[in-house]
Amino acid sequence: MRGETYMDLAVDFMGLKLKNPIMVAAGPLTATGEMLRQAVEAGAGAVVTKTIVNEIRPKVRPRLAALGEGMQNIELYTEFSLEAWEHEIRYAKSHGAVIIANILAHTPSEMADIALRVEKFGADAIELGVACPHGEGLEGLFADPAQLYSFTKSVVQRVNIPVMVKLSPNVTNMAKMAMSAEQAGASAVSAIDTVRAIIGVDLESGRPLLSTYGGYSGPPVRPIGLAAVALISQAAKIPVCGIGGISNSHHVLEYMMLGASTVQLCTSLILNGLDSLSKIIHDLETWLMQHNVADFGQIRGKALQSLKSFEEIKVEPYVAKALQGCSDLSCNLCVRGCIYKAVHKSKFKVTVDQNLCTGCGLCLSVCPDKAFVLEWK
Amino acid sequence: MANIRDVAKKAGVSVATVSRVLNRASNVSPKTADAVLAAMQELHFTPNGLARGLALNRTRTIALLIPNIVNPLYPEMAKGVEDVAHQKGYNVLLCNTEEDIAKERDYLTMLIERRVDGLILMSTLLTNDNLLQIREYNIPFVLTGRYRQDLEADIVYTDYAYGSYLAVHHLLEVGYQRIAHISGSAIQWESQEKLSGFKKALREAQLTVEAKYIVEGDNEIEGGYLGTMRLLHLSEKPQAIFAANDLMAIGAIDAVKAQGLRVPSDVAVAGFDDIRMSALVEPKLTTVSHPVHKMGLIAARLLFDHIDGGAGEDATQKILLQPKLMVRKSCGHENRLREIFN
Repeated sequence: MRGETYMDLAVDFMGLKLKNPIMVAAGPLTATGEMLRQAVEAGAGAVVTKTIVNEIRPKVRPRLAALGEGMQNIELYTEFSLEAWEHEIRYAKSHGAVIIANILAHTPSEMADIALRVEKFGADAIELGVACPHGEGLEGLFADPAQLYSFTKSVVQRVNIPVMVKLSPNVTNMAKMAMSAEQAGASAVSAIDTVRAIIGVDLESGRPLLSTYGGYSGPPVRPIGLAAVALISQAAKIPVCGIGGISNSHHVLEYMMLGASTVQLCTSLILNGLDSLSKIIHDLETWLMQHNVADFGQIRGKALQSLKSFEEIKVEPYVAKALQGCSDLSCNLCVRGCIYKAVHKSKFKVTVDQNLCTGCGLCLSVCPDKAFVLEWK
Repeated sequence: MANIRDVAKKAGVSVATVSRVLNRASNVSPKTADAVLAAMQELHFTPNGLARGLALNRTRTIALLIPNIVNPLYPEMAKGVEDVAHQKGYNVLLCNTEEDIAKERDYLTMLIERRVDGLILMSTLLTNDNLLQIREYNIPFVLTGRYRQDLEADIVYTDYAYGSYLAVHHLLEVGYQRIAHISGSAIQWESQEKLSGFKKALREAQLTVEAKYIVEGDNEIEGGYLGTMRLLHLSEKPQAIFAANDLMAIGAIDAVKAQGLRVPSDVAVAGFDDIRMSALVEPKLTTVSHPVHKMGLIAARLLFDHIDGGAGEDATQKILLQPKLMVRKSCGHENRLREIFN
């Protein structure tokens, strides 16, 4: 079946030739050489190692909690020494993996030293894992673009492989951070790392579900990731790798239309299994074929063109209109959700009082039957 | 006892091939290597370390020189060195120099005679000239602790002045103005640096650095205890004491308690090093982390780059490890968030 819809998904990212733009992100799924191999065999175009550090930190238990569609983690980096990573990287490379080594250190000189070592181990590129919201102080490793610049620069100067910088959404101006990385010579940026979070509180015990502040991931953070990728794409010229809440091909394409060249997945693969990668890849091929798109370059950044300033958004006299009746007697989402009390429903019939409607558009997105449109009054 | 020839005969290979397997050379097929290893196991063969050392001109031994084996800080560093050395199949010789330059020189002579394959020197008192002499014996070394701008050598260092500044700045932020310092031994360059960080924080806050609030300790618990006793007998006793290491800070807490006073409500205390014990004393000690474990790991990695011949064009490296303030209870702050995000 795949042969019939086969399209070439290959991308050139930071000079690396990837068979497709989908990577497995640094995290629990990329902790060993064997896991890296499994990710590649499941179809990943590249794999990003779990964060490699000089000094291993203790693994707290519990450290992962899923609630609703989201997940919080309080994990801290790899369990393997740098010496052990030499073997793990070589093993995964021998199975054909394109490896991006995610590394973390606390000064530019220390960061450059680890970078040089993972380059010697055979890593194809480096991702600076400098954006984790826990374990590195209230402001993270740094809140200042100048510090990001000096870390990035010291690594770029020392290694010959491309360097990507992972950015945190827990800052006020991600665009500034991306520009600092670009000026320092980074070949790409990836965004977003997890969002600082407390996933919930157990009311009976009166305790948070995990014992400290951590990083939130999964579908609920996708809109944050999409906005970050759009911002970065509009601020910097280097390629962007989109991360955050991707679980199907639709999400991959959303990130690409907002400027991403590649994407990374983690949480959805933990919750749905590595097998889900092959479906995402297959669906991407199908979509490209159905839409007659030869390569991702044709759609990259397409949606950015429609992002406007408020000044540019014309205030047009839109009001809502129900195109059809409603088949679900029990559903009342449109009526309940109308802030202006303009939507009325009588059995199967739905009407909009266009004198009360202000064209906010909420009914269009809450109706499961897509029964509403906006039209000029 | 079986020798290398017996192994070669049993495995049906040459002595040179067995030797290549022993040296983990890459030009041996996995099948041959397996056959050799199986023959070794069957014959209970273990290579003769001394003979191997002579043949390879290696003793598979490195040495770590530390200033004080009784201070729990330095075993942390030794652990870092040992973590790497063990993975490389090396032994570590531990030498305790006790901040005595004569003893340090003695050790150095002994280690050179023993043909160690490399040296890691923590807070060494040796001069640059002394250190450069080691090079004549073709023994690579890595320095740890202090920064030396004028020496072309691998150095893993931390910023003692900045670390002390962080601690004193924090005490000022909590609200203390009369802050005293119990310094380390004056002979140590690190002590001077810590003192300069202390003075810088006070001057920045437009406070006068008063000589009566600076006493010299000996880097031991007793020095912290006696120094604090002196400070507590001043007509205007300090509100807070910053000790140049955790052992002296623990001595300071003991002295405050012995005077019937409380830490931090009567006198606040902060230390430097973040030894494990500092999170266990009562009250838990606010201190500055001295990343010696990481220092040991990185120093050993740099040393093995030289021993294994993989140091490459970047022959020497100077790697900074930033100290970090660890806010706990002995400083009397009320910022729980700062503590959580240590």
